[in-house]
Amino acid sequence: MLSADFVIATAVAYVGLLFVLAYLGDRRARAKPRSWLNSPAVYTLSISVYCTSWTFYGAVGNAARSGLEFLTIYLGPTIVFVGWYFLLRRLVRISHIYRITSVADLLSSRFGKSSRLGVLVTCIAVIGIAPYIALQLKAVTSSIQAVAGSSEFGQGSLKGIDDVGLALGVAAGMALFTILFGTRHVDAKEQHHGVVAAIAFEAVVKLTALVAVGVFVLFIGGGFEGIFSQAAAKGVVVDTSSSFDSRWLTTLTLSIAAIVCLPRQFQVTVVENSDENHLRVAGWAFPAYMLLMSVFILPIAIYGLAVMPEGSNPDMFALTLPLAAGQNGLALFAFIGGFSSATSMIILESIALSIMVSNHIIMPLVLRFSPPEYGDGQGVSRVLLVARRFSIMLILSLGFFYFFFTRDSDALAPIGLISFTAIAQFFPAPLAAIFWKEASLKAVSSAILLGFVTWAWCCFLPSFDSVSPAVSQLLQDGPWGISWLRPEAMFGLEGWDPLAHAAFWSLSVNILTLTIGSLLTTPSALERIQATAFVDVFRRPNLPQRAFAPGSATANDLYFVAERVLGEQRAAALFDSAARDSGVDPIGFEPTPEFVGRLERELSGSIGAASAHVMLSKVVAGSDVSLEEMMQMADEAQQVIEYSQQLEKTSAELRLTAQKLEDANAQLRQLDSQKDEFLSQVSHEVRTPMTSIRSFSEILLDTDALDATQRQRFVATIHQESLRLTKLLDEILDLSALERGERNWQSQPVDADAVLDRALSVCDALLREKGMRVDHGQRAGRTMVAGDPDRLCQVFINIISNAVRYNDATDPMVRITSAVRSGNFVVEVADNGPGIGKSERKLIFEKFSRGQRGAIDQTGAGLGLAISRQIVKRMNGTLDLAPSPLPGACFRLRLPIIRR
Amino acid sequence: MADRRKIVGRMFVLTAGGLLLLVPPLVHVFNHDFTVFGVPQIVFYLFGVWLALIVGTAVLTSRLPPERPANGAEGEG
Repeated sequence: MLSADFVIATAVAYVGLLFVLAYLGDRRARAKPRSWLNSPAVYTLSISVYCTSWTFYGAVGNAARSGLEFLTIYLGPTIVFVGWYFLLRRLVRISHIYRITSVADLLSSRFGKSSRLGVLVTCIAVIGIAPYIALQLKAVTSSIQAVAGSSEFGQGSLKGIDDVGLALGVAAGMALFTILFGTRHVDAKEQHHGVVAAIAFEAVVKLTALVAVGVFVLFIGGGFEGIFSQAAAKGVVVDTSSSFDSRWLTTLTLSIAAIVCLPRQFQVTVVENSDENHLRVAGWAFPAYMLLMSVFILPIAIYGLAVMPEGSNPDMFALTLPLAAGQNGLALFAFIGGFSSATSMIILESIALSIMVSNHIIMPLVLRFSPPEYGDGQGVSRVLLVARRFSIMLILSLGFFYFFFTRDSDALAPIGLISFTAIAQFFPAPLAAIFWKEASLKAVSSAILLGFVTWAWCCFLPSFDSVSPAVSQLLQDGPWGISWLRPEAMFGLEGWDPLAHAAFWSLSVNILTLTIGSLLTTPSALERIQATAFVDVFRRPNLPQRAFAPGSATANDLYFVAERVLGEQRAAALFDSAARDSGVDPIGFEPTPEFVGRLERELSGSIGAASAHVMLSKVVAGSDVSLEEMMQMADEAQQVIEYSQQLEKTSAELRLTAQKLEDANAQLRQLDSQKDEFLSQVSHEVRTPMTSIRSFSEILLDTDALDATQRQRFVATIHQESLRLTKLLDEILDLSALERGERNWQSQPVDADAVLDRALSVCDALLREKGMRVDHGQRAGRTMVAGDPDRLCQVFINIISNAVRYNDATDPMVRITSAVRSGNFVVEVADNGPGIGKSERKLIFEKFSRGQRGAIDQTGAGLGLAISRQIVKRMNGTLDLAPSPLPGACFRLRLPIIRR
Repeated sequence: MADRRKIVGRMFVLTAGGLLLLVPPLVHVFNHDFTVFGVPQIVFYLFGVWLALIVGTAVLTSRLPPERPANGAEGEG
């Protein structure tokens, strides 16, 4: 039989061991920052502070009472850690960059550095955690009593002390221990290496203890099969049919929220994390730890139910089973394991909560009611420490009072779930904070507040059912007899499990308020800045933190603030390094806005974002103005980006224009050379008749002895040549006028077929002279086109006269047809002349080009076809060569018909 | 890094799939009224899924290329 005195002495000795461990851990961490203390294994073990005496004792009781439900408490966190990459990694990154110290700090920092939100979250956390602390006190008290039993010897000096007195003693001891442990000094980053080392050690102790008990039970019970069949024989079976109902879902959801939002879990997982890569190990190792813890819970519970006497407390099976088997050593080890799990939870939870209380409630008050000159340099640090010590006492007192009022309830797990439901009210807010930019301060604050009120009504209040007749009356009839407001049947939702009912209503109210409120409200400028910084943390990791205007604070003021919070040493180091970085003497150091931002982050690592912001605002002038300035800066940056994009666009346009210019230049050069060519051709064409005119006129001038006929002949030649010259010049003028489009041009409806007839009659004499036969083919009849009738006639005459002039056949003939084809009036003029050589086909429509074959008289200037083509073009038609039905050439003219 | 994105995708599927396997209605599909070595079959199922999640995470994480420690060196320890 173990005596209570002995057990308590062991516990005290164990605490002493922890204290030594923490002390050594702290020293080692200071001396060697990269020691094994800073390893993923220690990190993972410290996270397992999640497994409290709720796991050690409560889970066994829960398994005995409700079967498999206890597993959800570990399956939820497993899911969170399996998905570490998506949520925890983001939280850790954000917290590292912005020196986040708690959930309250995260939310207050994200939502515009609001101190009110920090206060709200802190108050709710302190109240919500009270049942959880009570659970630990109850577990430790019960375990001591279970060991002591009821015998005179066992009770020892505990004789006459009831469980309330015992719990008070435990609470006082824990408070003292936590104060000694956690508040010896204010850390720069709220990292407690010594405490973490002790917690990791405790994690090993509680796991080994539970596994030892489990193995022992398996041994005496005859293995899994033996235990379960033995139990089945006594009528104890695990009911698996009703396990997976709304309660299963509820506890799973609550545990998912708890592993993220519980103050101590946030502390160890996020704040104490010194290397993001530790999460890679914790992602699988922590679930594995919980799996090991859970494997033996069901056998212990089932075996306990089967062999222990009726009415024994199933929560204490892990302790009473070895005791019943006379294994005092094992029982003592189990007690230490349970004690260990309770102390680690209480220490860390109250440290985490005390940081929240001092940073978010006490510091802002101190800052508000004290002038900036307050203190002697170390003032803030001292205030912080005192505040934390009082917070720890407050937290443990609240836990004790909750225990005192609800001491009649027997099971452990339901008490813990009350806390989980309270803490779950924080869960939607951090999710929105790091994933949703539109989430606003007002919406988040009201969501948390309303969720908390619902929790207090539906979950917290009913837990006093057994101690207060007023409460049980309320549960029965509702407030003032309003039955639809009954805490466990809101809006008439009866017949539900009370926990599922409370979780459903509180979380629904919470989430709906958060989402709808965010959509209806407009966040402030600072909120928007923080929203972008948090949500896009992986996109823009090094967002400059500029919240203060340049040149608005002196180095002296800032140093004074830094010294008050960080202490002289750290403040001096910070300023020296900043001065070194900017390459100036520490005396002449001018704080830049970047430095003020860095200082704010350092300060918020000690006193929280909201307090740090308030504190710096006191010495840095015009922080509101600087916010505007910051927005302006953001706008300017945006403008610069837009401007550079515009420049890029403009330069692309310029390139395009340059290309076009080059093309135009090339075209001009080509045209220039064409012009030169044209001029040389014209001069050549003019020169030939001019030469003959000059020579004949010289003969006439110089030679008197010319007979009349000869003279007559010469003059005729001169006349002929000048006619030819005039004609040439007329044609050139005509063509150039046509090409420039300057000529008076009348466009009117013309009967094209009639014009063709007119042209034929004009050419009649020419045809007769040549003795040429005209083959009149098919004719289109009256067809209207738009154009100038005289010009069109000119085109026809030109084509027909060409056919006459170049025809050297013995039986010359020309075939003229006209038709209407697909909306065009088409005229074809074919002859049986020599045709046009392939090489000439491209050239004949050019200026000064004449057919080489069959030309009888080369009197034309070679402009006829060029002019004709220009005219047809003006009439929107085409003139080209077509495959000839006769041996010679065939010209085809197309003109669009106007339907009239 | 396409490789990284693929592994992150698998991690997401593992997380979401694990959650789905542990809640109704899927958990009912694997809940049958018989025992293995005297232990209800569903217990094996739950612990099996649990173990698979642990192993899956360990394997996927080991394949995930390490990230450069962001701010890890800054003022740590």
